[in-house]
Parts: sequence; structure tokens; C-alpha cells
Amino acid sequence: MRKVAVIGVGNSRFGRRDDAILQEIAFEAFKEALEDAGITQEDIDLSVVGSVGTRLYESLPAVPINEYLGLVGKGPIRVEAACATGSAAIFTAYNAITSGCVDTAVAIGVEKMLEVDTPTSTAVGGRGGNYLWEFHMFGTSFAAYYALFATAHMAKFGTTEEDLALVAVKNHKYGAMNPKAHFQREIKVEDVLKSRVVARPLKLYDCCPISDGAAAVILASEEKVKKLKVEDPVWIEAIGFSSDTSSLSRRMDYVGLPAATQAAQMAYKIAKVGPKDIDFAEVHDCFTIAEIMAYEDLGFCKKGEGAKMIREGETYIGGRIPVNVDGGLKAKGHPLGATGCSMVYEVTKQLRNEGGRRQVPLKNYVALTHNVGGHGFYVYVMIFRR
Amino acid sequence: MAAQERPTIRSRPLTLVHEIPIARIKRFWDGLKEGKVYATKCKKCGQLYYPPQVDCFKCLGSDVEWVALSDEGVIETFTESHLKPQGFTHYEEPYIIAIARTPEGAKVMGWLEGISADKARVGLKVKITTTIKPDGYPAIVFKPTETS
Repeated sequence: MRKVAVIGVGNSRFGRRDDAILQEIAFEAFKEALEDAGITQEDIDLSVVGSVGTRLYESLPAVPINEYLGLVGKGPIRVEAACATGSAAIFTAYNAITSGCVDTAVAIGVEKMLEVDTPTSTAVGGRGGNYLWEFHMFGTSFAAYYALFATAHMAKFGTTEEDLALVAVKNHKYGAMNPKAHFQREIKVEDVLKSRVVARPLKLYDCCPISDGAAAVILASEEKVKKLKVEDPVWIEAIGFSSDTSSLSRRMDYVGLPAATQAAQMAYKIAKVGPKDIDFAEVHDCFTIAEIMAYEDLGFCKKGEGAKMIREGETYIGGRIPVNVDGGLKAKGHPLGATGCSMVYEVTKQLRNEGGRRQVPLKNYVALTHNVGGHGFYVYVMIFRR
Repeated sequence: MAAQERPTIRSRPLTLVHEIPIARIKRFWDGLKEGKVYATKCKKCGQLYYPPQVDCFKCLGSDVEWVALSDEGVIETFTESHLKPQGFTHYEEPYIIAIARTPEGAKVMGWLEGISADKARVGLKVKITTTIKPDGYPAIVFKPTETS
């Protein structure tokens, strides 16, 4: 199988982007990625657009985006995998290259979520579970789904609301240092505990914001990397994937995401590394409980010991394995389709030692991304090396 | 930074309301009116499905029997939701979404009523009932059968 490298990354500012339409924020990320790679549209063979798109007035967003970016004739393929859409777009671009079909491909993740009101956004999201058997009768939302996991995790392992708050505190600390983050201010445990209840035990500050944003990742084959004389390629060592039921009632338990464990094991096996070899990780902290479950599902600690990791500060810069040092979904924001690409943006910058004030120490030059769609419907775990 | 008024234009409205065919799953929806929660069981291989489905993905058979689940459940997890998605904004109070396990091993989602979220707990024994809400939509409702 041909090797594939990340040769350029771009990330728009995340947040309430009522200054721009979908195409315009996609352009922001795409332009930065092109300039980062030092190439033009001419060098790109395929465009893959990742957008969940269910809140948009454009029904088929990939086409207008492709047109706006000057990519007519290069794809596009529209990809959707709920909140893991960005990773699915990268996976699609990666496969087109490993197969020998193309030499260079761009994955563009983009989402506008704030053009509709909050009850509409909550409904569109909640209907992304299993409409007929869950939303229709019970008005489920993703905050409620993750709250169901939080309740079960707390009951089984003694995880507390303070533990959940510690995740938010960490991620806000790094968000405050990220000029592209939706929330750029630090918070304290008391702020989280005092914030209004959204879906008990989750409070407002346990939840990622509803955000607009875009991120772009340009991939190339090893031959193309040589031809373009790319100085600092970041290699995709492995992509692991798995999935789970849409109906929460068909799960074995509510204390972890089996698809994440399966995707991680697949990625570790392909990359021939283990959790101990990972220098740092970007994980899917859409809600604080999700980051604690991610530590466990990825094997950074034993099942049930996720809370202990955050209590002991192991996932801060300088800790055993820094996690979400860009602010995570929690503080940087979570524009669904953009998130997976934004994780790879951060990993690429960090592996190149371009992390600035947030630079993590690199030992093995190996990093991991963990991107979850829904409550574990889709999971992609990717491993990168420089 | 002062809040800035940014110019916008309004999209043409789009209303989506679906007529959902329930010809093959009518037993379930009728059951809710009779106070019962139905699952399906594959007649060929015995696989139990909840939520019910009329095609068996294990043996690919499409001959299933409808089985009413026991009305005894044990709460596996719950949340009191203060978030009201579109379609639920007319419910004034927060509602408790819970999952209860039945003796058959099925897990059923429902609204937990008759207990406050402070008193609810994982492991709570409940009676599984059904109701038609004032807005005409059916719901599965769990009622505690023990004090917390």
C-alpha cells in the first residue's frame, strides 16, 4: 500500500461566524492549507468535502464549496459520518491515494451551525440518533445521550461532577491560548459546577459550544511528496475505524464506546505502536464525559480510571500524555464536519514543532486522533508520525 | 468587544413533516395505546429485537412474532433533560429520559415519571407503562415501584 503524508493544513477561526457564508469559511481553511503545502489547485487531483450539512440552506453543499474554491473538475465527493465527518473525509482522500487512483487529495471539513435557532439545531442533532425509536417519543439530544453515559459512568466507577469539570478547566486553559478557538478564556471548577443544567449531570460548561468553522487537510503520496520536495511531511501511519448502533437501547452498557476501542486497536495494530508510544492525542470531547471515556477506550488507562487521569493532571502539557492542547471540541468548538480535519491540523502543527506556547514535548514523534460520530455510531482513530 | 450587528438575509422557509409508514410495525404503535411495549422475535432463529424490526439480520428471515415485554424494569441510566428540541418546546418541565432493562434482556428507553431526578438512581426498579401525551404523541413511561 502506498504511503500517504499530510503536506498542508488549514483551519479557519472557529466560533459564531455570522460574518461569512459556508463557502467563505471553507476558503479560509483551504487557502491556508494550500499556502502551507506551497501548492496550487493545479496540484490537487481530488476534493472531498465533509459536511454534515443538516442545518444548511444548501442541500448539497459540496458542489458550491468546490466551485468557490476553484476546484471544479476535481471530484467532489461529499462525505458524512456525523461528528466524525472530517475524519471520514480524510479516510476517503487517503484511500484514493493508497489505491493509486490519485496522487494528491484535499479533505475539506466545514459546517455552519448557527444560522438556525437553538431548538432547531438541537432537534436536527437529536434526530441524528435514531429518530423513529428515540427522538420521536423522547426528545433526545446529544447532550442527553452523553448525560446517560455520564450517569452510568458515575454510578459504576465513582466518577464525579468535579472530575467532569476538570476536563472543561483543562481544555479552556488551552483554548485561551488558541487564537482560533471559539472560547478563549480560562474557567474554574466552580464556574462549571455553577453553570446551568443542560442534561443532568451535564451542565453548560460540560458541553462543547455550537460552532461554525472549517479545516482543510491536503494529502499526497510518497512519490508526490518527493516530487513536490515537501520538507516536513507528517505520515499517516494508520487509520482505524469502527461503528455501533444508532439505538442507544441496543448497547451492552453505557460506560464506554466499544467502537472507539475497536478503532483504536485496529490503528495500533496497523501502526505497530501501543498507547505508551503516543506523545499526545486529540480526542473527541464533545462533552466532558466523552474525554474521560476516550482515555479509557484508547487504552491510556484502565477502564474506570479515566477520572483519575484528569485528577492527576496526566493529560496536561508536561503530563504523561497531553490531550486536546488546542482546547478540544470543548473550548475550540465543534463545527461537526470540520472537527476531524481540525484535529489533524493540530497534530500536524505539533509534530512539526509549530505549537508555539502550546507545544507539547515530542519523544517518539507519534500522535493520535480520536474522532467520534454521534454517541459512538462512527469512530475513526488515526495515528501520525513525523 | 461590543456585540456587532451583522447584515443577513432570510432564507425561504422550508417545512418538513413526514407521513411515516407503520404498516409493518403497527403492532408496536397499537401496543402503546394498550399499555404494552412490544418487541419482535425471529420465529426461525429466536433473535429478540428491541426496538422491534420485522427483518432478522441474523438469519435473513422475515417471519417474526410480536412479544409483549414484561412491565418490570430496572433503571440502567437516566438524565433529566432541560434542553428542549424543536417539537418538544411545549413541554414545560424538564423530562427524565431513562433506559430500563427488562427480564427478557431488552433495553427500553422511556420517560421516568413520579420521582425527582435527585431521588432517581441506577438500579431503581420501575413499572413500564405507556401513555398518550396531551399533544397526541405516545410515550413509554417508567414509574418507580420502590422508594429510592
